[in-house]
Parts: sequence; structure tokens; C-alpha cells
Amino acid sequence: MSPQKTTRRRSFSTRRGLVIAAFMAPAAVFVALFTYYPMLAGSQMAFRNWNLNNLSNTDWVGLGNFQKIFADPNFYVILGNSVLWVVASIVPQFIIGFALALWLRRKFVFRGLYQALIFFPWAISGFLIGILFRWMFNGEFGVINDLLMKAGLIDTAIPWLAEPGTAMTAVIIANTWYGVTFFAIMILAALQSVPDEVYEAAALDGSGKVRTLFSITIPYISTTLALTVLLRVIWIFNFPDIIWAMTGGGPANQTHIITTWMISITQRGDYGQASALGLIVVAILLVFSAFYLMAIREKKGARS
Amino acid sequence: MTKRKLLAGLGLGLVTALALSGCSAPAGDGKVTLQLVESLTSPARTELLTKLIGEFEAQNPDINVDLISPPTDQADQKIQQMLQSGSGVDVLEVRDLTVGPFSANGWLSDMTTEFDGWDGWDSLTPNAQSVATAGGKMYFVPYGFYGISLFYRTDMVKDAGFDGAPVSWDDIVEQATAIQDPAANQYGYAFRGGKNGYTNAVLAISAYVAGDIDVTNAYRLKNGDSIFSAPEALDAMDTYLTLFKQASPPSSVAWGYPEMVEGFTNGSTGFLLQDPEVIAAVSESKAITAEQWNTAPMLVGPSGKAIQPLATAGWGTAEASEHKAESARLIQFLNSGDASIEFTQKNSLVPILTGAADDPFYKTGAWASYLYMNENPDVYITAEQPRGVAWFTEWADKADTELQQVLIGQMTNKELLASWDSYWAEKWAAE
Repeated sequence: MSPQKTTRRRSFSTRRGLVIAAFMAPAAVFVALFTYYPMLAGSQMAFRNWNLNNLSNTDWVGLGNFQKIFADPNFYVILGNSVLWVVASIVPQFIIGFALALWLRRKFVFRGLYQALIFFPWAISGFLIGILFRWMFNGEFGVINDLLMKAGLIDTAIPWLAEPGTAMTAVIIANTWYGVTFFAIMILAALQSVPDEVYEAAALDGSGKVRTLFSITIPYISTTLALTVLLRVIWIFNFPDIIWAMTGGGPANQTHIITTWMISITQRGDYGQASALGLIVVAILLVFSAFYLMAIREKKGARS
Repeated sequence: MTKRKLLAGLGLGLVTALALSGCSAPAGDGKVTLQLVESLTSPARTELLTKLIGEFEAQNPDINVDLISPPTDQADQKIQQMLQSGSGVDVLEVRDLTVGPFSANGWLSDMTTEFDGWDGWDSLTPNAQSVATAGGKMYFVPYGFYGISLFYRTDMVKDAGFDGAPVSWDDIVEQATAIQDPAANQYGYAFRGGKNGYTNAVLAISAYVAGDIDVTNAYRLKNGDSIFSAPEALDAMDTYLTLFKQASPPSSVAWGYPEMVEGFTNGSTGFLLQDPEVIAAVSESKAITAEQWNTAPMLVGPSGKAIQPLATAGWGTAEASEHKAESARLIQFLNSGDASIEFTQKNSLVPILTGAADDPFYKTGAWASYLYMNENPDVYITAEQPRGVAWFTEWADKADTELQQVLIGQMTNKELLASWDSYWAEKWAAE
């Protein structure tokens, strides 16, 4: 290749880069202005004594707010709750979502209607669902106890939201109901990308339904499954709506996860401590995000 | 070329229009526009305020009032943000819970100068005057008071074999226990274990130490110690826990305001301690008729006395307001004459005007118990809770959590009281 051609190609490449950057600039400015600036401005509160109840002293306290959080025994209980909340929500969401996606992939009458009905919860606000489930799980007037009693499964009403164990179970059930839809949508989309010929070949080889599922379907969509699970882990970890509306973190902090605890601290005006907790959440989520990005890269690699 | 010019002209016009839309219109008519922000918002209340504002504007043609009504659960935070930004608020709803933090941050104006010589001052009840001038500064003028009374089911009480409503905390344990029948979905007391559940526990404790309480600070005894340190406080908490264990719905550990009111209005609980604003909600109940319920005075302790906490809210002016005189005129209008009477009656508030309680409205039905309490101030002692301190929200959060710990068996009454006592002792020592 001649030196002139190389120079021309380089200058074309630089020009192309500049054009792309010019088109990207407005979006980048918006993101910087509305995402990164508030984040940075809010982050500095984590190192100050920033309490809305008394702003006469907003001194720099260094890591004081973080120390307070790590010294609070509630933090470790709440961190444990957060892990339980994510794991216990993800597993049933994944299994039920997968089953629904397999069912919806088949062709049957009113499939469109079923799909619309199943996806409907995803369109409702999480907070509204929390309020709905709070009344459903009400120990005295709730429909859940009523149904369980009529079915002969319990003799006396369960005070669902009044005891730590049952309250956590109730919020996880509500979250499962809410999140199944997302898995169903994502997995159904992935299932539709599996070519029919692969199944036909498997059928010719005499592969049964279970074998086909584990040897063909799951391996074929495994990257999508991994991405979906990672995405949901990030969302669920960061999703206070249902718990906040159902229990407010009670009884006695026993259903708090980190983000609901953060809301509770914000509500009592301690923005410094809440911001410190926010940064801890960001740090935890960065780990999951790193895994997510790695999975995306792997998916791209697999495609190319 | 013509096309380019046309486009340039359109573009310039658009930019100019956008730029101008960001600026407020000049007050060419010489009118002052006040921004009024309410906190305890509800559709009916907003409608009433809009009507009253209309009357004010008719009487004051030089003033316009814009009413801002954020949703109740976010209102105080919105108000905080507006005050912090230093613009957009002239008159605001100030609650006894928010006056402390708002004034500590320098967001509220001391309205003493503007109210000097106000002819409506003498019409205010002593309680209203006292609250308005607390700490020597006039950060807000109350529009009414929230008083507690006992809502009870007349039919359930009768069916359980009692002659009338319970008078004391011991009585309610006895009657509510007799009423309790979970198999029939019937419960004694609409217990408050969720948000602000500590308030009713404090009511019980206050009643047990009523004789020794410092009425200027209802969390303090006359000897300077906290009410939580008194031996009677432990008796009160034991009684209160008994009321929960044997006479309340088990899930009421998590009950906040909506569940409690629902529990009473849907006919499943026999007793409810609440503010008079619930009168309207119960009156609209389809599950219980007017003959099936009434209110009774607050429950007394062993000494035969009870403490009526002076919960209140009112109107104040933002320090950053440039129209303090006009703001004062609006507050004076809302807090005097027919406007005040209409506002207190329609919001089920104890009135701020002398003689307003003599209105037949307050003498009949569910309001009669409030009148009875007013007429017996030696028994139903009015005391001011320290709700204005900057750390009250922190206290409410701590108290709610620890009360729930007691209810689910993670803490004893003794530990709870020791914790509450040391909390207040430390705060007062640091003052």
C-alpha cells in the first residue's frame, strides 16, 4: 500500500470519528448533565454532615458516614436480607418465567391474548403492586388467608406482614409475581431465535423433550439466560418499591433491603448517611455490572 | 436563499419563544402573586382551600394566590426542596413536626413584625396563641388542632355486657378482650404497630404519669426526667402490650393509619384511638351505621387523668419570600372569621377561635367527647409534645422500630423504656 493511500485512509478515519463524535455530543452532554453531574454532586454529601433537619453545620466528615453505617448492626442484617431478597426472588422468577416462555412458544388458540395477560403485570408500577399485595396479605381482611382457609390449607389466619419470616416470604412472593413476566419475555424472545431445523434434527435422532431442552434449547440460549439473570440481579437488588409499599422495611427492620433502608434514612433527613449508603450500593452494583459487560462481550464474541 | 432565510427566521423565533417561556411574565397589572404550598393534601381539602383563596383574592384585588398541592406523602420533602432552593414559596403549611427543622435551617420567617397589631389576635384561643409564639418567635400560626378521642362500637360494647365506653386503659383491655373473637373476624382494638405506632404507646405512658407531667414538654416529668423513666411507664407499657396480645388483630404489628381506620370502618374492630378527622371517614362507612358507633374521651391512667397531646399545623411564611406583608395578610384571612371556622369544621379540627367550639356542630354526636374533654381540663390535661425539635423524625423512626421489636418479642418493655429514656436524656443534655 502506498504512503499516500495510508494517509488518505487515516484522515478519512479521523474525519469519520469526528462526525460520529459530533452526532454523539448532544446525547453525551445530556447524560453528563442529568446523570453524572447529579451523581457527583450527590456523592460529596456522603462525606459531609448533611442532615436536612439541621443544615447549620454541613462540615466535611470524611468517612464518618461510612463508619456509622458499618458500625450499625442493622447493616449486616439488611445486607443479608438483600442477598436473600435477590436469590429467593430470582430462582422462582427464572423457573416460572422459563416454563411460561416454553408454553407460550407453542402455537395454540388465543396465544396472543395469553401473552398480553401474562405480560400485563410488567406494565404496572412496582409501588402499586406493593400496595395491592399489602392488602392481599393483610392478616384479617386479606384474600390470601381467605383462599388458604377455603382450600383447607390453614385453620387460623396468618399474620403475614407482622412476623419477620412470613413478611419476607410475602414480599418475595409479590416480587416473584411481578418479575416472572420479564423472564418470560426475554426467554420467549431467545427461544424464537432457535432454528426449527435444529429441533427437527433432534427429533430425527430420537431425542426426547427433556433431552432436547437440556442439550439443545438451554445451551443455544445460555448467553441470553446469563445476561437476563445478571440484569435482574442488578434490578432486584436495586428495587425497593414492593418492599417499601408492603412493609416499609418492618416489622422492626426485618424486611429492609439496602435500598429501602436508604429511603428510610433519607426520610428522616440524614442525606449524608443516605448518600454514603448509596455509594455502597453503587460499589456493589459495579461488580455485577462488570460481570454483565463481560457476558455481553462474550455474546458478541460468540456471534462474530 | 429565501427558503434558508425563512428557516433561519423560524429557528430564531423558536429559540426566542423558548427563551421567553423560561421567564415569568412581568406583573404589568401591579398585582403580587403569592405561592401557597400545602402539605396535608387531599382533594376535598384542596377544593376548600381554593374556594377560600378565591374569597381572599376578591377582598384583596392586589394579590393573586397560586396554590401548590403536592401529594401528601411527598409534600414535606417537596416543601423542603423548594425552601432549600430559596424560591417558589411564599406561604407554606408548617406542621409541628416540620417547624423545628425548617426554622433551624433558617427557612421560616419570624412573622412577629407582620402580625404586630393584627386585630384577629384576641380571637385566638390561648392554645393557639401559645403555639404561634413558641420560643418567642412566630414561625407559624396554627389553623387548628388535632385531638385524640376513642372511637368505639356501641353495639359491640353492649353485646359484650358493658354499660358504656371504657374510661381507662384497664377498662379497654377488659372490654376489648371480651369483644375479641378472631373466629368471627371480630377484634377488640385497632392497634397501631406500624408507622407512628409509638404515638399511641406514648399516649398510654402519658396517661399513667399524667399527674407528674410537665405540660410544656409532654415527654418530661416535673422533676426533669423523661416520662419513660417513671416506674408507672412500665405499668403502662405492660397494659399496652396486654392490649395487643389479647385484644388486637395479630397482624396489627404492621398496621399504620390506613389499616387502623379500615379496621374500624369495615366493622371488624371495636375500638380505635384517632384524630377527629376520622369522624368523616367513619360517617361514610357502609359497614357500620350511625347508631353503631360513637366517640368517648381519651383513656385515663390509674390516677384518673389523661394527657391530650397538642398536635397542630398552621401557616407560615418562607424567609426567602419577597412578599412577607402580603403573605401575612393571607394567613390572617385564613386564620380568622368564617374562613377559619369553615376550614376547621370541614377538616374535623379542634378550632383556634375562641367560642367556635360553642357552635352546635361541636356539641353533637362524635364531637361531644371533645367538648367534654375541653370542659374538664383537670382530667384531660393538654400538654405540648416536643415535636418541634430537629431530631423528632429520627426519634419517631427509632421509637417505631423498637416498639415493633417489643411486639415481635425481640425486646422487653423494660429495655424499650430504658432505650427511650436514655435517648431523650442524651438529647436534652446536649441542648
